[in-house]
Amino acid sequence: MIRLAFRNLFQSKTRLVISVGGVALALLLILALDAVFMGVERRITAYIEHSGADIWVSQEDVLNLHMASSSLTDSTARKVKMVSGVDSVTPIHYVANNIVVGDERNLAYIIGIPEAAKFGGPWRIISGRSLPGEGEAIIDGNVAEKSGIRLGDKVKILGEELEVVGLSEETSSLVNSIAFISMKDFEELRGTYDTISFLLVKVEDGESPALVAARIEAQVRDVTAQTRVDFAGQERKVVKDMSTDLITIMNLIGFLIGLAVMALTIYTSTLSRRREYGMLKALGARNANLYQVVLAQALLSVTLGFFFGLAITLFISFLIPMLGTNLTLVVSPLSLIKVGSASLVIAALSAMLPIRQIAGLDPAMVFRGR
Amino acid sequence: MTLARRNLVQDKVRLMLSISGVALAVMLILILKGFLSGMNRQITAYLDHSSGSLVVAQEDVVNLLGATSLLPNGISQKTEAIRGVDQAIPILSQFVILDLHGKKQPAYMIGYEADLGGGPWELVSGREPVSKREIVFDQVLANRHGLKIGEEVEVLGSEFTIVGLSKGTASWMTSFFFVRKRDAEDLLLSPGATSFLLLNISNGADLDETLRRLNNLSGVNALTKQEMAANDLKLFAKVFSAPLKLMVGIAFLVGTMIVGLVIYTATVERQREYGVIKAVGAQNRFLYQVVLIQALFASVTGSLLGVLLANGAAQWIMSTRPQFLIVFDLMDMSQALIAGIGMALIASIFPTRVVARLAPAEVFRK
Repeated sequence: MIRLAFRNLFQSKTRLVISVGGVALALLLILALDAVFMGVERRITAYIEHSGADIWVSQEDVLNLHMASSSLTDSTARKVKMVSGVDSVTPIHYVANNIVVGDERNLAYIIGIPEAAKFGGPWRIISGRSLPGEGEAIIDGNVAEKSGIRLGDKVKILGEELEVVGLSEETSSLVNSIAFISMKDFEELRGTYDTISFLLVKVEDGESPALVAARIEAQVRDVTAQTRVDFAGQERKVVKDMSTDLITIMNLIGFLIGLAVMALTIYTSTLSRRREYGMLKALGARNANLYQVVLAQALLSVTLGFFFGLAITLFISFLIPMLGTNLTLVVSPLSLIKVGSASLVIAALSAMLPIRQIAGLDPAMVFRGR
Repeated sequence: MTLARRNLVQDKVRLMLSISGVALAVMLILILKGFLSGMNRQITAYLDHSSGSLVVAQEDVVNLLGATSLLPNGISQKTEAIRGVDQAIPILSQFVILDLHGKKQPAYMIGYEADLGGGPWELVSGREPVSKREIVFDQVLANRHGLKIGEEVEVLGSEFTIVGLSKGTASWMTSFFFVRKRDAEDLLLSPGATSFLLLNISNGADLDETLRRLNNLSGVNALTKQEMAANDLKLFAKVFSAPLKLMVGIAFLVGTMIVGLVIYTATVERQREYGVIKAVGAQNRFLYQVVLIQALFASVTGSLLGVLLANGAAQWIMSTRPQFLIVFDLMDMSQALIAGIGMALIASIFPTRVVARLAPAEVFRK
């Protein structure tokens, strides 16, 4: 019976291509949207993940980096340093602002880091230096390329002309990029001499970041201390909570479209094989056997569609970054499981449609030449 | 024409499936577009409704929702001293992430002074914040989380009492809420800070000239509210247009595939009939027409149904998830119809190849 399903499926190549293609595209809708949001999640946590810090200390109840503002007094750094288990503390300044090149403005998170910072700087450098001195900046390579900026050129950040001394990688997202300037410049330009935004804490070897974070919160007033993993988790949660409803709606539509395509394919292909099915019935095949053929056919084409859709998604996620956009697509295992199970449901549901046709099939029909 | 209609109508289930497939694809395209234009409307809500016609931001800052703006001290007095400026309304604003019942909700905080303006433009109930730690919350957001006037909501670790609910301030990513400017300063640990000035212009003042004078002040960037709203739109369009185009493209392809599949099978099944017609002297062109008419019928009907479905779905989405605003106009709908016709044209390619290859003699051989 499986062989029959196989043959039914592959007999008409065009029909196979169209139906598998249709299902693949519908599944692609779900996969691609998931991948877009996963890509966003990955990118917005990139700085936190690569900061090198074990613990992030922020203003009390500020749990995020993105779309947030955190302010700590200067003395906080000293107090945190004194907590047992803390190895080193690196303060950073942070504000959402622009990199200005001529008339072009690129939205960026401006990070002010100490000149000899051990953490908090760019983690992958394409060219140039990895730490900015006074009057210098390190900007994202994509942004630089788009604006025609090379090492040694000037860009305006926080109202001041700064020389680009390094170009970084993985520091841009759909929305913005990250630019690094020296702490001194930041303080001068923003007038924030006595406050800092975040503290990046490295714990001593063998110490648990979670325990040290709890100790910091217990001993230092008005701060929130989170391990790197927790902090990145908070960031991901923002994207997730924001996109859940949207993704649900889109997934539902993708699912319905996939269902329509598959139902259509199975229905038409069963219909065009009425005579063969009638023949099988006349030869003694039971309805249950014929259902199996239909179901196997549905499963086979949905499986093909799934892998085809996955292949296209992977291809798109490979292609898009090369087109110079900052959109990154990441296919997650969870999304594969979700789409995989949706495909199974689609196959099962669409195989139900021709049941009536098969059940109503009159074995004698075939002899009557209809 | 009759032939095309008969071919199509003969199998009702198939026709129905194909029409609903196209309808779903068209609906998806429309909803995606409607979603984007709805979001655009929500993004500029504050600038569209707040008082003043000009905005003063920090130098190089051109967006309300993009960059953090911090104006130099004493700028309010300086701008008011400029000829043409009637009144400067200071606001302190910042994106904050609220934690509502364990759900993260980004919202845009506006700190303003009730006697000067810059606050909510439509209160559904309650009043503006006048004393410490009072907040006007968005009605939709409040409903979603079961918050009522008099209840507390936590902003950056401080408890605020809801004293009013505002309308037209919701969005799935940029809901606005309002507090006293002094409270915003406390929350952001930046006493006396001002992000933007909303400027009222005196009657009869020359707008361009006033702008020029304002831009002569150091450390600031003055622009019209419309310009700033356009910049915000551009910023968000940049973020959403790529994924959106991807989705619309896929939806279009899906629709094409569906029409293609249906017309293809309908044609293949009738190969013999087409052969007979060819054998009795019909030209390929005539048969192409038959195929095309079928495709057009399926896709145009599907598109029309898609438009209806999209309207229904939009209403449903907006009533169950009021943070989404979905708007589409006649233009979008006609574009969706054109997309439907495009689907039909492309979809006809498969079956026309079958028809073209058909040998008229074949029918007699069988």
